[in-house]
Amino acid sequence: MKVDKDKDEGGIINGLLGLAASYRVTLTQLFRKPLTESYPEYKRPLPARSRARIILTRDKAGGERCVACYLCSGVCPVSCISMQSAEREGGRRYAAWFRINFARCIYCGLCEEACPTLAIQLTPDFEHSCRHPLDFVAEKEDLLVDHGGKDGDYDFYHYAGVDCGEGKGTHEAELPPVDIKSNLP
Amino acid sequence: MPYLIIDNRHIQVPRGTTVIDAAERLGIMIPRFCYLKVLGAVGACRMCAVMFEAGPVKGLQMSCMVQAADGMRVSTTHPEAVAFRRQIIEWLMINHPHDCPVCDEGGHCLLQDETISGGHSRRRYTGAKRTYPDQDLGPLVQHEMNRCIQCYRCVRFYQEYAGYRDLGVMGIASRIYYGRFSDGALESPFSGNLIDICPTGVYTDRPSRFLARRWDLQRADSICLHCSLGCNTVAGAHYRAVIRQESRENVRVNGSFICDRGRYGHAYANLAERPRQSRLDGEPAGWREAAREAAARLKRIAAAAGHSAIAVLGSARNSLETQIMLRYLSHHAQWRPPRFFVNGSEARSTAAVVARLDSRLAAGLPDLEEADFLLAVGVDPVNDAPMLALAMRQAARKGAKIVVLDPRPVELPFAFDLLSAGLGDLPAALAVLVKTAVSQAGTDGCEAQEKAFLAALPGRVPDEKLQGQLGQAGGWLAASRRPAIICGSAIAGPELAGLAADLALLLQTGKTPSRLFYLLPGPNAFGAGLLQRGSRYFPSLLQDIEKGGVRALLVVENDPFFRYPDQDRLHSALGKLELLMVLDYLPSRAARAAHIFLPGATVFEAGGSFINNCGLLQYAAPVHEGGIPLAQVSGGSHPPRAHAPAPGSEKCPSAYEALLFLANELAIRPPTMDASPWSLLPEDFPGQAELLAHPYPTDGLQLLPRLSEAESLQTPVNLPTSGPAAGALTVLRVEQTFGSEELSCYAEPLRQLAGPPLALLHGADADRAGVRDGEQLCFEIGGEKVELALQVTNRMAPGQLIIPHHYALGRAACRLPAVVAQAELRGLTGQDSPDLPQAITES
Amino acid sequence: MDSTGLIILLAKLLIVLAALLTGAAYLVLVERKLLGRFQLRPGPNRVGPAGIWQPLADGIKLLLKEDTVPAGADRILFLLAPAVVAMVPLLLFAVIPLGPDLHLANRTIPLVISDLNVGLLYILALSSLSVYGVVLGGWASNSTFSLLGGLRGAAQMISYELAMGLSLVPIVMLAGSFSLVDIVAAQEGFPFLLVQPVSFVIFLISALAEAKRLPFDLPEAENELMAGYHTEYSGMRFALYFVGEYINMIVLGGLLAVFFLGGWHGPLLPGPLMLGLKIIPVPLLLIWTRATLPRLRYDQLMQFGWKVLVPVALVNIVVTGGLILWLES
Ligand code: SF4
Ligand code: SF4
Ligand code: SF4
Ligand code: SF4
Ligand code: FES
Repeated sequence: MKVDKDKDEGGIINGLLGLAASYRVTLTQLFRKPLTESYPEYKRPLPARSRARIILTRDKAGGERCVACYLCSGVCPVSCISMQSAEREGGRRYAAWFRINFARCIYCGLCEEACPTLAIQLTPDFEHSCRHPLDFVAEKEDLLVDHGGKDGDYDFYHYAGVDCGEGKGTHEAELPPVDIKSNLP
Repeated sequence: MPYLIIDNRHIQVPRGTTVIDAAERLGIMIPRFCYLKVLGAVGACRMCAVMFEAGPVKGLQMSCMVQAADGMRVSTTHPEAVAFRRQIIEWLMINHPHDCPVCDEGGHCLLQDETISGGHSRRRYTGAKRTYPDQDLGPLVQHEMNRCIQCYRCVRFYQEYAGYRDLGVMGIASRIYYGRFSDGALESPFSGNLIDICPTGVYTDRPSRFLARRWDLQRADSICLHCSLGCNTVAGAHYRAVIRQESRENVRVNGSFICDRGRYGHAYANLAERPRQSRLDGEPAGWREAAREAAARLKRIAAAAGHSAIAVLGSARNSLETQIMLRYLSHHAQWRPPRFFVNGSEARSTAAVVARLDSRLAAGLPDLEEADFLLAVGVDPVNDAPMLALAMRQAARKGAKIVVLDPRPVELPFAFDLLSAGLGDLPAALAVLVKTAVSQAGTDGCEAQEKAFLAALPGRVPDEKLQGQLGQAGGWLAASRRPAIICGSAIAGPELAGLAADLALLLQTGKTPSRLFYLLPGPNAFGAGLLQRGSRYFPSLLQDIEKGGVRALLVVENDPFFRYPDQDRLHSALGKLELLMVLDYLPSRAARAAHIFLPGATVFEAGGSFINNCGLLQYAAPVHEGGIPLAQVSGGSHPPRAHAPAPGSEKCPSAYEALLFLANELAIRPPTMDASPWSLLPEDFPGQAELLAHPYPTDGLQLLPRLSEAESLQTPVNLPTSGPAAGALTVLRVEQTFGSEELSCYAEPLRQLAGPPLALLHGADADRAGVRDGEQLCFEIGGEKVELALQVTNRMAPGQLIIPHHYALGRAACRLPAVVAQAELRGLTGQDSPDLPQAITES
Repeated sequence: MDSTGLIILLAKLLIVLAALLTGAAYLVLVERKLLGRFQLRPGPNRVGPAGIWQPLADGIKLLLKEDTVPAGADRILFLLAPAVVAMVPLLLFAVIPLGPDLHLANRTIPLVISDLNVGLLYILALSSLSVYGVVLGGWASNSTFSLLGGLRGAAQMISYELAMGLSLVPIVMLAGSFSLVDIVAAQEGFPFLLVQPVSFVIFLISALAEAKRLPFDLPEAENELMAGYHTEYSGMRFALYFVGEYINMIVLGGLLAVFFLGGWHGPLLPGPLMLGLKIIPVPLLLIWTRATLPRLRYDQLMQFGWKVLVPVALVNIVVTGGLILWLES
């Protein structure tokens, strides 16, 4: 490969001037105030969408939003979510247990993005260091909160056409179930 | 051979190949919903549209409906085709309930895949969605009709392919509905295949409902162990429990489907009662410790009473590796040669089959599908080996004549002729039928020996009606070109197996070169048959134990108590043993009685090779590492929070592993089995050792010799022509599709489907015995009561009392005598039965 | 040498060693602080007021770290290589005159540890030795990254050593001696910087390259080679590489002062202090450069060394020689 001849645009003088200019730029930075916020002394209020400790939210009626669909555990790049899905009385699918190993979580937020029910959400609460690795393992009880978090109004079961006791055809934009014994047009 | 161009790539395909299949051969997966190769094309979904740019067909066409032809130029990526498919998928999604997160199909759903491949990602339609009521389809299949896209795959399989009518399509226009006329369990023993073929989540696996996503399963190729056909499956395990099985395509065995016994029979592997702890004289001990102690005791016994005081019992569910290890061990330790069958008749039948089957004769299930005449004798396909019935139905759909010669009221999902012959009459009836056929077709090609054999065959059966039917069927056989004889082993004895082989050979000399298909008693019965060579049968072993000649018995994955008729004798004999060592994964009675017990590993944990009824050696890969299912360790809640080793992760040794350890303790050091299991026994099986020098092909390795060396066409033939004396009933113990087979009868959903046990009796016998349909029979044997309802039917052969092996009957039912007098039947009827007047009971 | 001489020598050694090591440790802190400020950060500020105990904390941490030797490494070379890197700059400092001779109780104490008459050659020789630490460490680690780092180090050293040597020829011509004491003495009137600006620039650049600091830090180029030749080092051995680099910066300052800035000569202040004042700007300049310039490409590095520095240095020699002849004649 032919090596680029470092085209000499403007000659040595310009080059030297450029070099000097860059030294000048860095020098001026030296005399500016650092931008750093010193952490424990000052805690900056974080935006709601910043990504730290994970919670499992509830719907408006107080039910668990998570339907144990395994999408979050499937998408998690470090495989730190595990759960066991099960069926509740009435036919709702839920997580019999649900576990996040925060010692492994990289707070990428992919789980939140994958969640079809908006159940799993990352919160700005990032201060949860502890001494023992096992203390980082959070169970469902540790994760469940009693509010809806972001978009608290959404309820998966209002839109999905699956019957969990309230009968077919009763959800958002659904017709009543067809009469399968009728051959009338 | 048409030569065509698809997406600028050239391919030549056999005549009759559809364009969608031709593309698949090139690795181009054209989107589809309704098309399934085994079911054929109907063009219902319009998803497979491609552009035909040149050739005999032009324009936008369904690739599943067009056969490949010379000169075709096809584009699957033509803008018009892409736009068309995008609209189709959008329309199909209009009524979709958007419930993928709670749908078990999610993750392996064709509808999800095609929605993405079609580029449809945003719902534009704002109208209301159609909904459907769902039905309860029984314990195996969950119904969720909202997800249906009307592809007709399910009914085409259920009605056309499998031949059952209780699930169908109803309604008109946009209210098309797939289901049963009313709620109720699906009648087909193949209903689980709906789960595999439905492209969406309308039918999902009910026992594993909401348990795991497919992508989380540890999946491996496995083999079904619930009958001798050896259908191929893919087993999936999650958190140390096997939770789901799917069919795996093998065109040499099961084709694309499996039966429900195979699909749902794996529950025994997850059983809470499954023994996981090895025991030494009733006390818990580590398995190595227990095995070491066993070796010490075996040495002591051998020193005191000679090596032949030690005997070995394997089983027909052992993997081939285990069986070979057993044989090797007993050979080198100079113990008695291993036995594999508790039932002497099964042992002899299997020996006959293994001796007689060769590649001249052997047919596989696919050959049966192509036959034009099928003669099944001593077989109740749906109950003995369900997939056999499905294969026979494919032959029937192509116009084959099918005759079943059996004492049972056989029912099959297709038209056939049932010739009812008593158990004792079966060989003679078969001989008569074939003799008629050969005589009709002419004996020109026959040699002297064959002619002599033919002449020695009986020409008549006593029953006139049967004689007439046999004659007619013989005519059909004579007229057929590709006939096959299917011979069972569950009820008939070894004579039938030998005779069937002789008759098939006889037919091969004429114009109707018949093939032969045997059923065997167990998934690796063929292997057991090969390896039991030179050993005597279990009943003789029992005698030796009683006489004190045998002092130690090593039982590997077998439960002699499971079906042995004389339970008391067995119990007292085994009680005499100085050492009863049992190695098993089932909570069996033998396991409880053992002095030394080692828990075993199932096929899902240990894997193994199995030889099916056609002599095809297949390998089942281990699915997971073993250990107690997490749900059992953690009681349904989250698993214990601890660093490794997690509780319950200790594995049970595979039988092979445990035997290897035992052998080492006994200072017998077998070479490792990495290369081929047969290498352990080169002198016994030189042919096989050579065959198996290489890894098995995935679709199995045929082990049959080209020509069997066994004596054939032995004259004179001495066939019994009638059953027990008048007034006596032969008791037939028969298999049921569900609830009778040793492993699958632990599966709760299958138990539900098995229903209560029914005794069957011919109308004439019932009249003579004075019992009525629906009456409760109550036997009292050995102090235990057995109750079962009586069903009277005239579709069966008279002179038999048919009683199923049924999990609910308990062990006492094993002790039923082989023959009961009709009078005795009355006597067996419980005293407290209100239906029977006192006088009859006394007389 | 009498025993007093020996004691005096030992004292000199001790003082110089202590000064150099402390200097190096605090140079690390200064660099981190300055870099922080260049990048609008405060820099280390947690250990002690304004982070002044940071070097101590670093030292303790490094001391306590496990000393790992990678599998397949050449153990002996691997263990020895860092020592070479740390030793060489210390030895270099031995010939730098720190001030005028001291007269104490009718003894003359030269303020230099050793006045070699071939001091300049000694410096050139030793400074090329230091590349052994790099090459051997890189090779002995049995790691691709280290090996590449070591190779680059060797190539770079060979290329720039030449320019450096050539840039010093005019100094020798001017001073008429290889002894550093003589060279300093020759600058009593005016520092050579005034007559040899070109040599000064060439020496500065080559020294930068030999110190393997930005923009010439290709042997360790962290975004390509992890940490180059010392990727596999940990604990105190890694610290040796580190300390070596920082002492080297100070020594470079000393050499520049000796060759071009008149050494300890200067108004008002006593010699050693004057020398110190002249040394300090050099490490600071190097740090500033690090904050300013990006790393060169490998081919640019080679091209610059061979096609610019060497020819210019040669021309400079010829011109200087001509001028000297002309002035003398
Ligand atoms: S934030 Fe990322 S790493 Fe953490 S649980 Fe979610 S997907 Fe996994
Ligand atoms: S993606 Fe959401 S609904 Fe699904 S399992 Fe995770 S938290 Fe539950
Ligand atoms: S139920 Fe499934 S297989 Fe049957 S028509 Fe609907 S989508 Fe097709
Ligand atoms: S037919 Fe037999 S081998 Fe095949 S799946 Fe059913 S039980 Fe298993
Ligand atoms: S796959 Fe061709 S129309 Fe359905």
